[in-house]
Amino acid sequence: MFKLHYRLERRAIGMTLAIICAASVGGFVEIAPLFTIDQTVEAAPDMRVYTPLELAGRNIYMREGCYACHSQMIRTLRDEVERYGHYSLAVESKYDHPMLWGSKRTGPDIAPLGGKYSDEWHVRHLLNPREVVRVSIMPSYAWLMDNDLRIDDLSGQLAAQHAVGVPYTPDMIRHAADDAYGQANPDSNRVAGVRARYDDNTNIRAFDGIADRLTEMDALVAYLQILGRLTDASNLDPVGKDLE
Amino acid sequence: MITNLTASERRGALLILVVMAIVGLFFAAAGRGDPIALHGALIMVVALAFAFPVMGHLYDPEPSADRLDTYYDDPSKVGMILTFAWAAFAMFVGDWLAWMMVEPTWTTGSAWSSFGRLRPVHTTGVIFGFGGNGLIATSFYVMQRTCRVRLPDQLSPWFVLLGFNLFCLLAVTGYMLGITQSKEYAEPEWYADLWLVIVWIVYFVLYLRTLARREEPHIYVANWYYMAFILVVAMLHIVNNLAVPVSFLSAKSHSLFSGVQDALTEWWYGHNAVAFFLTAGFLGMMYYYLPIRAGRPIFSYRMSIISFWGITFMYMWVGSHHLHHTALPQWVQTLGMSFSLVLLVPSWASAANALLTLNGAWHRVRDDATLRFMMIAAVFYGLTTFEGSFMAIRSVNALSHYTDWTVGHVHAGALGWVAMITFGALYASIPWLWKKERMYSSFLVELHFWLALSGTVIYVFALWNAGIIQGLMWRTYTENGNLAYTFLDSVVAMTPYYIARAIGGLLFLTGALAGCLNLYLTIRFAAPATEALSLMPLRDPVSDAVIQAAE
Amino acid sequence: MTLDVSHDTVVWAAKTVGLLYLLVLSAIIVCYAFWPSRQKEFRDASAAILDQEDRPWR
Repeated sequence: MFKLHYRLERRAIGMTLAIICAASVGGFVEIAPLFTIDQTVEAAPDMRVYTPLELAGRNIYMREGCYACHSQMIRTLRDEVERYGHYSLAVESKYDHPMLWGSKRTGPDIAPLGGKYSDEWHVRHLLNPREVVRVSIMPSYAWLMDNDLRIDDLSGQLAAQHAVGVPYTPDMIRHAADDAYGQANPDSNRVAGVRARYDDNTNIRAFDGIADRLTEMDALVAYLQILGRLTDASNLDPVGKDLE
Repeated sequence: MITNLTASERRGALLILVVMAIVGLFFAAAGRGDPIALHGALIMVVALAFAFPVMGHLYDPEPSADRLDTYYDDPSKVGMILTFAWAAFAMFVGDWLAWMMVEPTWTTGSAWSSFGRLRPVHTTGVIFGFGGNGLIATSFYVMQRTCRVRLPDQLSPWFVLLGFNLFCLLAVTGYMLGITQSKEYAEPEWYADLWLVIVWIVYFVLYLRTLARREEPHIYVANWYYMAFILVVAMLHIVNNLAVPVSFLSAKSHSLFSGVQDALTEWWYGHNAVAFFLTAGFLGMMYYYLPIRAGRPIFSYRMSIISFWGITFMYMWVGSHHLHHTALPQWVQTLGMSFSLVLLVPSWASAANALLTLNGAWHRVRDDATLRFMMIAAVFYGLTTFEGSFMAIRSVNALSHYTDWTVGHVHAGALGWVAMITFGALYASIPWLWKKERMYSSFLVELHFWLALSGTVIYVFALWNAGIIQGLMWRTYTENGNLAYTFLDSVVAMTPYYIARAIGGLLFLTGALAGCLNLYLTIRFAAPATEALSLMPLRDPVSDAVIQAAE
Repeated sequence: MTLDVSHDTVVWAAKTVGLLYLLVLSAIIVCYAFWPSRQKEFRDASAAILDQEDRPWR
């Protein structure tokens, strides 16, 4: 009786192992090489990281599910490049944990959105999309203006990003909350810190139009205004080698 | 139901619930200021809601030994009720979203009900809530009957079923609160993911323990599919959800992978969630319920084995067809495309196997809406896998990607295949489980079938048109070589199709609600089956004669 | 610990070993499914589920 049980059980375990063997090949062949892909990704020495405010905006972008309707990945197709701009390069999402390439364009691709519209346009558009784009079917995100931005956990957010490989310095992590405040309040004394720690071209403005309040709108607009602006790699790379 | 548990199982259940309540309390108290506190409170409330009734029966006498002479079907029954409940909820949300795409102001205006937050509520509710509960409930049913053995204990099936539903609850409430990883179809945050790993391990061990006790020497092929579903989903879930939480008291985590690595990992997961959650598991369902309902053995058992390994083997390669023309290395794209095409062979072998099984039982398909659900499911399975392989071709994908064609394709699979086979399997099991002669109203089953079929067809045709028009408008040039349409032109052009889609969805939802009503009426009012009836083999003389002739 | 593996090497290994793996496993599976002595087992298995004796064997 005991022996019989042993044999039967072995069959189920054998099946388990066979399933694992069969199923793991595909993942192994396709995913393993991606861990050495750094060697093939275009070099971009000028690549900068997201500021704490932009990272907070990125978190809001994810929280509101914007990726469900907007892609951030321009494909190597002629019409896409002509409609949106240079096709997206792998390096451009190097610091995107997770990536937000998206899979559906109910709205247009926004990979190169940064700098295309004014802050005011974005704020009005997010409050009521149909005020600026009459036939838009995008929902309104009015609560972003009412909600104060949470900044007490920003150091933790940056530390977690550092843990997964984004080169934030200890200084940046320590001052994350101050820098978020400073970036959206150009008159405050915290602006110097932002300038010192981040890129010279960092946008420092009252993104939501209100200087003394730090809202979720500030963060989201700051993020939208940096899309496609983290590196110049796409401007240096000539378009049109093998577009279909 | 609680009194059916042995005294030690009741004590075990209470211990688990108390530990959960304490963990919930800890998160609720220590995580103040973070959304995780709300989930801590939710876990605590749920655990206590179950702990009190268990406590009330803690010192009840042991259940009689007679129970060991029957299969343990209580978890399957509750699982099937939950399947219907999730169907009603998630399909309602889906149709609401469909109407929002027609008229974006049809929302409450609060953050929780915005499109972006409700969209994962719909997808998770359907895939995991509806599909997952259907798989768990039927797998308990199928594994006992194919192994001819009772489940090894009475506590772990409850842990699996209710634990899984807690995961679903954390997921959908999380999205509405703004807790999400944003990885499509893997949105729940790190603590929900960890909880699912625990539940899933118990599920797999339960399956192995049942198999180890089995009386049939051969493991019936339906179990292979269920096992592949459990195992591979565990693999995918763990790898894709690797992340670093901001802190142990924060709901937010940051994905371990970034950019192109993350994209491939995500779609390796995403496509295989389709393969092993929405295909393998439901094929297991089909390989059990379709032969039983038709009263005929599966057409070719060997073909089912070969297609099993084909599917297990090849699906894992194809995820990269979601990333054609992107920054992913070209050879990975090509590999994904090639395997997507080869995959059509085992997929069609499975669909053909199902339809050929019905050869000789077509009179039953005509008369029996339950069997017709399964037949239509096999047809849609064949159609969808063909469409999928077609859309994986680079040049086709250039047109279809990012458009509503993809959404139409997914729904051909989800409505036509997954939901149809599930409803078929549920309508077959419910009378057997509740010991009824048949479903209370065969009219309602028939109505559900036609609503589901017409809803699916309207939905899918609307989005085929929408997607192809979108794709063409984006790439049309004028004679001077300029793009002919703005993006907004394509948005405006979608309106009639979005209305048609929302109507198709409404029909499908109505059908599911008719199913819910029928479930209630059956449990409550249907005539009980006589002992002889419940044990009667579901064969009829006609097909028996055919089988004998074939042998 | 620095593994000095170039991307090309990994890609090459994945393609060759992966292909071999695929072929060998496919051959094993086809043999398993078509092995003549298993025919009876398969036929019995597919017929056995139709026997709706709705209680466990022990």
